[in-house]
Amino acid sequence: MNKFNILTVALKNLKRKTFRTGVLVFAIGLLVTLLIFATSFTISVSSSLKKASNRLGADLIIVPEGARGFAEEFLLESKNTSFYMPQEVIERVKRIEGIVTTTHQTYLSSISGLCCDIVPTRIVAFNQDTDFIISPWLEKSFGRKLEKGEAIAGFGTSENLGLGLLDIEATLFNNRFSIVGVLEKTGTGLDNALFMTEENLKSIIDSGNSPIKKGEISIIFAKVNPGSDPDYVGRVLEGNIVEVDVVARSNMGGKFLSILADINKIFLITILLSSVLTVFLVWAIFSAIANERSKEIGIMRALGAKETHIVKLFFLEVLVLGLLGSLVGVFSGTYLSALLAGSFTLVKNISASLGVAEQIAIAIMGLVVGCGICVAGAMLPINRIKKMEPLLAIKEE
Amino acid sequence: MSLLEIKKLTKSFTVGDTSTTAVDNISLIVEKGDFLSIVGHSGSGKTTFVSIIGGILKPTSGEVLIDNTDICSLNDDLLSEYRNIKIGFMFQFASLLPMLTAKENILLPGIFGSNSHRNGEDKAIEYLNIVGLHDKVNSYPSQLSGGQQRRVAIARALINNPDILLADEPTGDLDEETEKDIMDIFTKINTEKKVSIILITHNTDLAKMSKKMLRMSHGKLEEV
Ligand SMILES: Nc1ncnc2c1ncn2[C@@H]1O[C@H](COP(=O)(O)OP(=O)(O)O)[C@@H](O)[C@H]1O
Ligand SMILES: [Mg+2]
Repeated sequence: MNKFNILTVALKNLKRKTFRTGVLVFAIGLLVTLLIFATSFTISVSSSLKKASNRLGADLIIVPEGARGFAEEFLLESKNTSFYMPQEVIERVKRIEGIVTTTHQTYLSSISGLCCDIVPTRIVAFNQDTDFIISPWLEKSFGRKLEKGEAIAGFGTSENLGLGLLDIEATLFNNRFSIVGVLEKTGTGLDNALFMTEENLKSIIDSGNSPIKKGEISIIFAKVNPGSDPDYVGRVLEGNIVEVDVVARSNMGGKFLSILADINKIFLITILLSSVLTVFLVWAIFSAIANERSKEIGIMRALGAKETHIVKLFFLEVLVLGLLGSLVGVFSGTYLSALLAGSFTLVKNISASLGVAEQIAIAIMGLVVGCGICVAGAMLPINRIKKMEPLLAIKEE
Repeated sequence: MSLLEIKKLTKSFTVGDTSTTAVDNISLIVEKGDFLSIVGHSGSGKTTFVSIIGGILKPTSGEVLIDNTDICSLNDDLLSEYRNIKIGFMFQFASLLPMLTAKENILLPGIFGSNSHRNGEDKAIEYLNIVGLHDKVNSYPSQLSGGQQRRVAIARALINNPDILLADEPTGDLDEETEKDIMDIFTKINTEKKVSIILITHNTDLAKMSKKMLRMSHGKLEEV
């Protein structure tokens, strides 16, 4: 078999100037690193937000007027916010066309320090009969319903409380609770709460130490008819019940989505500028290469090389460079993303991460862009060199 | 039928206002097995003339007929094939590619041809034998002397079995003894392989070793 072919020549050409080859590989590597990092960041944050909102299972979040911000960031934050509305709102919500089911929760803040012997935590009282928010997790992690006097800790809370040992007792608002389990991680604000059923509220209120009055709730989650548009139902709801704010699923994490959009713009500008710079670098280097080698190209043409052979030779060089650079970039970009993930509040808050398929797709995109940039930069010089008349190319020095 | 028929070939260069006629209305017939040498002063048009025959320069007017086809009318791909298959080139200067070994340089024309034309390594080594360099198969041009480089270039020019070898002052910068060696190789391939040769040289002694000597002056070609 004859192993000698145009690729051999291309590789030997690249080896002639290892430093120059190295510079190009490095430059492309940097660009692809940036690209991989930016895309990984953006996609992991936005897809994790989406996943969290899907997992939540609610199409609409209904809160007292003024608490919209809390509802928007429900998926991400765990502010110890106390806001309340009368229970009768539930009935009015149910009457709105398009609403199928609702469930509600009441939040108690344990900030006072007086009330409880645990660190500040949001305490969530939920209605076990209607609930579709906590129950799936409860089912999975605990396997049975909560009884009166029992509480279960969110994943994050358990860390705060130093729980590992279950069945600990805690005093909340003068009532003793046994903490009977820890929920699996949900990747939402729920992770930082302690859950109990609504039945316990009565004794807390009776103890006289609570921030709420009888018949008050904090938040209503609603599912809408599959045929209805949640945004539309939400607007109708807000128009009909003046004392509530409504956030539809698509707007959950709204503040973060807008921050993310800004970050994306910055990434985009940086990537565009770096791409232009890299294209320019490849162009400059390949122009120099084309000049240096014009005599060689002329000799090859005289020996019978067609224009396509010359183009192929240069393209192979360019592709090998692009591929090497992109590979370097894919690895360092992926590594950098993993390394820095923990230092971004945004990523940590929603425990953003990428699936294998997404990572592969991003890597392939990195390879394509890296090679594409190389080809784009080398296009003009290659086009010029292939058009030269052989004798003139030979004479040029 | 003749191997090559050159009809009223003219090439003028125009630089600014001045026009130089480097090749002036030359007609010439080359038969299979011919060994022509062309002598002439520097600037008389020798390189221009063989470059047109070799298809690396377009004439201003006239025809170069091979197999009844005017090469000047071929498109770039066909012209490249013509150079690849019919012509073997040797240049006035060292023309080996520095990043390739002697063997790879010789294999180079093969990778530009159609697949059936691709040459195997043993053929490269056979040609290195012909030029007496069997021990330099994997040497790079920088590791070879000027004369050895020229010999590799001969092997490269011959590997695709061309009809015509065009050699433009191939021994210009070599010592007399090496010049003589190379002339011997030319004579050998001319008689053994029936390759027609057009040799350009300023050395009349060398030219006399060919079968026919021509003189070029001011773009005109005359027999001597
Ligand atoms: N590309 C060119 N542009 C302008 N003039 C040229 C070019 N190539 C050759 N010439 C002119 O054509 C004449 C013949 O040149 P050349 O064929 O190289 O001569 P020789 O090989 O006999 O020394 C010279 O006068 C030279 O200046
Ligand atoms: Mg000359």
